Amino acid sequence: MAEDVLFRTRKIGKQYPGTVALEGIDLEVRRGEIVGLVGENGAGKSTLLRIISCVEQPTTGSMEMHGRQFRGKNLLEANRMGVGMVFQEQSLMKKLSVAQNIFFGREKKFKTLFFINWRRMNIAASKVLESLGLDDILPASKVLELDFATRQMVEIAKVLNIVGDKHEGCLILLDEPTSVLNEIEIKKLFGKMKMIRDQGHSIIFVSHRLSEVIEISDRIYVFKDGQQTALVERKNANEDLLYEKMVGRSTSGEYFKVDRQTDPGQDVILEVRNLALKGYFKNVSFRVRRGEVLGICGVVGSGKEEVCAVLCGDDRPDEGEMFVNNVERHFSDPSDALDAGILSVPKERREEGIIATLSVAENISLSSMKAISRHNVISDRGRSDRAREWIHKLNIKTSGPKEHVETLSGGNAQKVVFARVISGENRILILNHPSRGVDVGAKEEIYLLIREITERGIGIVLLGDTLDETISLSSRLIVMKDGLVVAELESPRDNKPSQIDIVRYMM
Amino acid sequence: MATEENNSRVKMDTTTRTVADDFSERIAAERTKNRIVELGPLLIMFALIIVLSVFVRGFFTWNNLAGLLQQIATPLVLAMGLTFVLLLGSIDLSLEGVMGFAGSIVALLVLNTKNSFNLGVLGILIAITAGTLFGIVSGVLHTRLKIPSFMVTFGMGSAITGFGILSYRGIPASVNDPMFAHFAGGTFFGMPLLTWFALVIFFIALSIERYTAFGRRLYAIGENEAVVRATGIDVDRIKVMVFAWSAFCSSVAGIFGAIKLNIGQVIISNGFLFSTITAVVVGGTSLVGGSGGVVQSLVGVVIVTMIQDSMILLGVNAYVQPAVQGMIVIAAVSLTVARGKKIIFK
Amino acid sequence: MVQRVTARAVLDNLPWLTLIALLGVFTSINPRFIGAYSLANIFSVAAPLLALSFGATFVIMTGSIDLSVGAIVSAACVIYGTTFPVLGNWSILVAVIFGFLAGSVNGLLFTWLRIPSFIVTLSTLSLWKSVALLIVGGGAKGIPMKLWKGLAWADLSLGIVPLLFLISIVVFAVFYFVEAKTALGRSVFAIGANERAARMCGLKVNSTKFWAYVLSGIGSGLAGAFYSIELKTSLATIGDPLTLLSIAAVVLGGTPLTGGRGSVLRTLLGAMLVIIIQNGLNTVALDVYWQQIVFGAFVILAVFLNSEKGGRALITK
Repeated sequence: MAEDVLFRTRKIGKQYPGTVALEGIDLEVRRGEIVGLVGENGAGKSTLLRIISCVEQPTTGSMEMHGRQFRGKNLLEANRMGVGMVFQEQSLMKKLSVAQNIFFGREKKFKTLFFINWRRMNIAASKVLESLGLDDILPASKVLELDFATRQMVEIAKVLNIVGDKHEGCLILLDEPTSVLNEIEIKKLFGKMKMIRDQGHSIIFVSHRLSEVIEISDRIYVFKDGQQTALVERKNANEDLLYEKMVGRSTSGEYFKVDRQTDPGQDVILEVRNLALKGYFKNVSFRVRRGEVLGICGVVGSGKEEVCAVLCGDDRPDEGEMFVNNVERHFSDPSDALDAGILSVPKERREEGIIATLSVAENISLSSMKAISRHNVISDRGRSDRAREWIHKLNIKTSGPKEHVETLSGGNAQKVVFARVISGENRILILNHPSRGVDVGAKEEIYLLIREITERGIGIVLLGDTLDETISLSSRLIVMKDGLVVAELESPRDNKPSQIDIVRYMM
Repeated sequence: MATEENNSRVKMDTTTRTVADDFSERIAAERTKNRIVELGPLLIMFALIIVLSVFVRGFFTWNNLAGLLQQIATPLVLAMGLTFVLLLGSIDLSLEGVMGFAGSIVALLVLNTKNSFNLGVLGILIAITAGTLFGIVSGVLHTRLKIPSFMVTFGMGSAITGFGILSYRGIPASVNDPMFAHFAGGTFFGMPLLTWFALVIFFIALSIERYTAFGRRLYAIGENEAVVRATGIDVDRIKVMVFAWSAFCSSVAGIFGAIKLNIGQVIISNGFLFSTITAVVVGGTSLVGGSGGVVQSLVGVVIVTMIQDSMILLGVNAYVQPAVQGMIVIAAVSLTVARGKKIIFK
Repeated sequence: MVQRVTARAVLDNLPWLTLIALLGVFTSINPRFIGAYSLANIFSVAAPLLALSFGATFVIMTGSIDLSVGAIVSAACVIYGTTFPVLGNWSILVAVIFGFLAGSVNGLLFTWLRIPSFIVTLSTLSLWKSVALLIVGGGAKGIPMKLWKGLAWADLSLGIVPLLFLISIVVFAVFYFVEAKTALGRSVFAIGANERAARMCGLKVNSTKFWAYVLSGIGSGLAGAFYSIELKTSLATIGDPLTLLSIAAVVLGGTPLTGGRGSVLRTLLGAMLVIIIQNGLNTVALDVYWQQIVFGAFVILAVFLNSEKGGRALITK
């Protein structure tokens, strides 16, 4: 039976400063099988795939392929050892033909003198496509001409061709390949996957759509909070069982300061109707009241990030209307949203939330320069006074208002972002993963801060780091899946919905 | 159960795949735009021929058309060099500098009025090599020091012009070599010799673009450089070669200039940077890289040459030409640039 | 980290050190270099370049480039010379307004059409060059001598410091104020340092970029007027070498091309450095042709020294 194992991980762990992404992963992939991988956002699925494809290195643990040690510095080396990954953002070159993409970087064998014999390459490409039953794709056609599902097939054929020269069988990693495919295309994809499996290769298939994973996988691993919690055979798998294993233990309400949760007022401060962004979400409508925290739950790709982008003015919706305090608004960029009183705390704090080369004081005042100016002249005194006020209020560990933000730690930089966002007269805040990458102590401070803000009547739209966090912090929840709002629930202080119920809607 | 006791409002949509459909719509739109950019310039060229023949007196005459054939030689060669640079997503602002430099050097190496050199064809080869070397230096500075191409080539262009002026110290050499006169006036099957040379370079460029791995990689780098690097391909080496090729073409153009005017000085290249950029962009090659090609640039060169020619025939003041070209470039680039609120442009 | 801090400290002070070093070198070769006459010459030549470079600094600090500055200077010079016989010294206002308009054209095209700044400004360079040549009919046209009285004020000086130079210092003060004390100035830095974050902070990105170009245009317009005043002529080719020199002034002062850091104060230093190099080269009797070579090389070197090593931009095009 040991010879049946194609790939194995031994106690793989991955640590980032402040967080543990993976811990003690013992995964086993047998020859000629499709292994499904499910779990919530942040459960570690993508991290594991990145480690297996050698895009990242594990902090602890080891891997084996064909019983031999498996380790590589980059994707290229992983390919050489028989592991290939089909990324969500495709790596095909649109202006090149299918054949040219499949053999990109390896054209040498088709060369005569300086020139490449495209005919020979096309013939070779046909053979590759045929082995996957893709005879209807012309090797000479440009990738630009193909639709997305076909492009994905070509991508799979390419990866297979790069790694599959061995007779020993190889491992293909598929990360959410079905998110933008329709039913027919998914059926076709599954057909190809089975074909690949029957040829002796193996696949690790990651998807948030449990029904699909159950349909195609031979065995399913369930991940939760960076650990594997279950291994289920196909015949034993059902959605309820998987949900149960995916969902974390609820943290005590005290941690999230649930007792301080504000009861929302009657006034509606933000309303959206039938909002749509082509290709990302459709028919989104909801209301946010005074002092309310509206949490949006959904997996990656559900459209929740894009909804936030539209709310704060970063993207313009293709359809629908937005009303701030009952006045209809159109935002062509975030400065318009700011004028209307909407500001966001971006997800990528370092890249989008702060200007690293500027000082703490400058960063804090960046979104409210008028407030520290007299007759359009910025008062340095006013700016540093303000900064000192917030440094004190939020307990920001810094040497002073003049320190450059780039030297602050993650949690403190995040607090600077909060100071910036709160210090203006903003009515609605969009918090995108506000506690991400922040240590436990600072997290609690942030939760307290959120309670204080809502007590003042400010409304919040929240994308939480974990489902638990989102449920606990919010007074109302909407769940999104595949670009649509599929559920809306109250989340009162004394009667929080359970994680399992929400997860059910998400997937 | 928590679910029942909550005031839940469940909205289940039956049209679950509509978002995926929107996505494929976007891909189809991308395809259509690409087709327009590919065919548009060709249609414009034909339309222009008709319009100009009808409205511009003297355009559709043997004399004028023959003159056009002669006029496209230099711009065509320059466009061949610039096209490859643009495919990468870079720019080469040293075009005029290298052209002027090569023209100045070659005039001093063949039989001329300033010194006793008489190296003939060897002189031409030396001038071209010297110019190409500058291109290599630009490429190396760009890739090693990670300085944006517009800055490196802008600085190099200025420096190279300086070298050019330095070579003749203010008093340019006039050429006496009969070979030059032969090239300037000679024809082969009715078409000027210089145009033949330009076509040869065109075909070389075309072969490289279509039939070598190198050519394919240019498109790939322009589209997604990170992925190409991840494949292990030596992108820096390709970039240096592209800048060398561009300088090579500029040097050849410089030789053409010296041949046509029988003199070697840096101002022979005046105005060519801009008209070449116009030609390549109008032809459909994108400034951000990854799309276009030498055939498109050929079309662009023909269009721009025809417009220049017509303006002369119409008696338009020579100083107005660059301004008109400026407007054309802006129009052409804005039509093909990627739209999107979040894309950062500097 | 410590290494990075000291390297940066050295580079930050490099412009000062280079200035002093060059003064030393040139003076040792020709002791008259620091003489009153020579210095007065340096100051008067510096005035237009300073005005021009201060505006260009704003554009570069946002991370963009303005290649049309030289052409705007040419056109402004021509416009000043042409209107002076009619409007006298009010022509300065005309030149500045023209600069404002030219800068607006750049700003509008750049922000509306969303095409790279070097293409926009390369095109407007052609446009203004054409305009300059058209107005003057090809080369230069002198201001009639009988009107030179009206320009006599420009020859005044405070000691060895000419009036025009003092005016450019006033311009410097204005630009420095904008840079340090206005929302526009702070936005310029933010956008240059991290445009994405600046946008998400709610800063008016397009508006800021527009005004940066307007400031650049105003500076160029003023410079054009200065040249016309000094040379007493309308010269349509005066601006040809100026784009490179203005970039050199900004870059040699220590402002990186990618923006986000720097200051008009540094540009002041950089411009003086440029003038001293120019004059110095003349003094050591190097052919004037060497200037282009020297500046071309210096600019490339300075850009390299200023840039963030191993920074975010792993891919340069």
